[in-house]
Amino acid sequence: MSTGWMSQTAQPRAPQPQAGEDARTRTMRPIVTGTSVLGIKFDGGVAIAADTLGSYGSLARFREISRMCKVGNQTVVGGGGDVADFHMIRDLLNTLEIENREYEDEHDIKPQAVHTYLTRVLYNRRSQMNPLWNTVLVAGMQDGEPYLGYTDKLGVAYQESTLACGYGAYIALGPLLREVADKGEPITKDAAVALLQKCLKVLWYRDARSLNRFEIATVTAEGVDISAPQSSESDWGIASMVRGYE
Amino acid sequence: MSSTDKTVLASAGFHGDVLTLVKRIGVRMQNYEYQHRKPMSTPACAQMLATMLYGKRFFPYYTYNILAGLDADGKGCVFSYDPVGSYEREHYRAAGTASALLQPFLDNQARALARIPDYIGRKNQQGVVFEPISKERAMTIIKDVFTSAAERDIYTGDAVDIRIVTKDGLEEHRFPLRCD
Amino acid sequence: MAFEFGGMPQFEAATCAHRSTSKALVKHNAGADVDEDEQQFTGPVPMFSLPRTDNPSEFLHQYSDANPDSKVKIQFAHGTTTLGFKFQHGVIIAVDSRASAGSYIASQTVKKVIEINPYLLGTMAGGAADCSYWERVLAKECRLFELRNGERISVAAASKILANIVYHYRGMGLSMGTMICGWDKKGPGLFYVDSDGTRLTNNLFSVGSGSTYAYGVLDAGYRWDLSVEEAHELARRAIYHATFRDAYSGGHINLYHMKETGWERILNMQDVGPLHYEYEAMKEQSMATTAD
Repeated sequence: MSTGWMSQTAQPRAPQPQAGEDARTRTMRPIVTGTSVLGIKFDGGVAIAADTLGSYGSLARFREISRMCKVGNQTVVGGGGDVADFHMIRDLLNTLEIENREYEDEHDIKPQAVHTYLTRVLYNRRSQMNPLWNTVLVAGMQDGEPYLGYTDKLGVAYQESTLACGYGAYIALGPLLREVADKGEPITKDAAVALLQKCLKVLWYRDARSLNRFEIATVTAEGVDISAPQSSESDWGIASMVRGYE
Repeated sequence: MSSTDKTVLASAGFHGDVLTLVKRIGVRMQNYEYQHRKPMSTPACAQMLATMLYGKRFFPYYTYNILAGLDADGKGCVFSYDPVGSYEREHYRAAGTASALLQPFLDNQARALARIPDYIGRKNQQGVVFEPISKERAMTIIKDVFTSAAERDIYTGDAVDIRIVTKDGLEEHRFPLRCD
Repeated sequence: MAFEFGGMPQFEAATCAHRSTSKALVKHNAGADVDEDEQQFTGPVPMFSLPRTDNPSEFLHQYSDANPDSKVKIQFAHGTTTLGFKFQHGVIIAVDSRASAGSYIASQTVKKVIEINPYLLGTMAGGAADCSYWERVLAKECRLFELRNGERISVAAASKILANIVYHYRGMGLSMGTMICGWDKKGPGLFYVDSDGTRLTNNLFSVGSGSTYAYGVLDAGYRWDLSVEEAHELARRAIYHATFRDAYSGGHINLYHMKETGWERILNMQDVGPLHYEYEAMKEQSMATTAD
């Protein structure tokens, strides 16, 4: 019989292909999708942001889907890519947390553990030719230090002081987030949140799969705080001056 | 790149496989230490890595590995691998996307300078003074090699991690490369 | 859950009857378990992690250099000249030392003779990892035979163990052409074993991309009653000529002589570079003598 929590943890099971079934009939394409997730460390914590849209192709189908979840008391996870797959990841993390709590030993799951766990799950799924179609950011406080990690459907993983996935990796990561992070001096929590709001606004202007309705989560020594969905003031005044795409 | 205090592993290729492989090596080295009450030697680790890579012969880890450290005599050793675990002990080796660019560079520089047994090297260069290669010279060569790689290989750049294993322990350096 | 050590014996004991590969297809869960592959090595024989596709043997082919459409290329070391022949004083084994990956020379210092034990040698041609791995398995099997039976294994039996193993993996893409050479009760032994499952014995073999060139030299100079020196020189010359004509062969020559007392290493990594000029000089000398 099993005892350790690792062995009890629900293992994601890929649907077994029937004999003769072609490998390509498995999910090789996301259906309902979420776009960018952004993340940045600040002085004494870390913040991540994602909008609340679940796109169905080019259709803005679900306008209030949370793409973030809290794990334990010092970790938050945000995901882009297939929303259904993200929900499965969320369920897995939920199970992980429940099993951890059963011990009632004050031990709290740390962000690095969550990050490594997710990396293993995603890697094992890709190795079974049945990937979970997500890019995931893990943010939290690891032994008093801010932690920010990335992992994707292949099981590639790394840590950085600023991270982004989806279109955010092209539009927000370089010019906006890294610009601030590379200055060397840590920024305040308010500045980090303001920066994420600015990035999301730019993405709202340029990323056709984005929505001006988003959540920002911050993790500090005080714990996790996922904001209620919020919006930014936008100004489409210059739109009429853009030429060449009519 | 990952390491213990006397064995270092550098892996190029698919990062997901690299992470997985490094994790598995770590587990087995840890268990070895618990069972044998001593750390795994570099040559033992080298054979283990070969077997682990071959264990995935029909679904390989897409990784190109170089394992380095000290052997039983305290001499430096470098082991190079193909993705399915064919390995060889060598004096120097370049692996990864720029390997075909850099190996000849090492053939020219390191081979000429390292004290290499008579049966390799020498043949392509006449009148070269053969002497043991110093740590400083090795560092210079490595930095030059990576500077060249960053110049001509699109997959090389930003920075290079350097680790040096000696009997006194492990040294770590980071050397910046061009960032374009 | 049974605790398993990461470093557990990968192939425990005994038999060379290999478990059916379909068993290796049994899937394991996608959990956070790091050592997913180790679990497969619990059987009495090595088990390999297989891609979860309908046809695992075709999977790798898609990504190998054999498929020109593939963007990802896993290139394995290939290309070789190896030879072996029996004669009145035993068996001679000689090999080159080049490993190539496509047109790139991956190494010039490969040891293609595998010293299985003091009375058995194996040669490497084809996939470098396949040869070295399975001949290591063979070495283990031979040692176990000795421990169980209190005597050395025959060359015929040793080569058959290897042939049975590779036959089991037939169609899975193993690539090896090897000669198993030794000395047993019957005297000198020389067997050719390849990954198709072929197992032959004869007085003379050459294997690899450079084998045709080596055969040319060997057939011209081979006799049963060769002296030891003549035999060494014939093998060396055959490898040299193969490295000269075959782009996939080169580097250095390793030469072994199998005798009743076990093998002896005759040439240790002799560079073929300077050898070329030695043979050139010999040619000129003999031409000068004929002119006189």
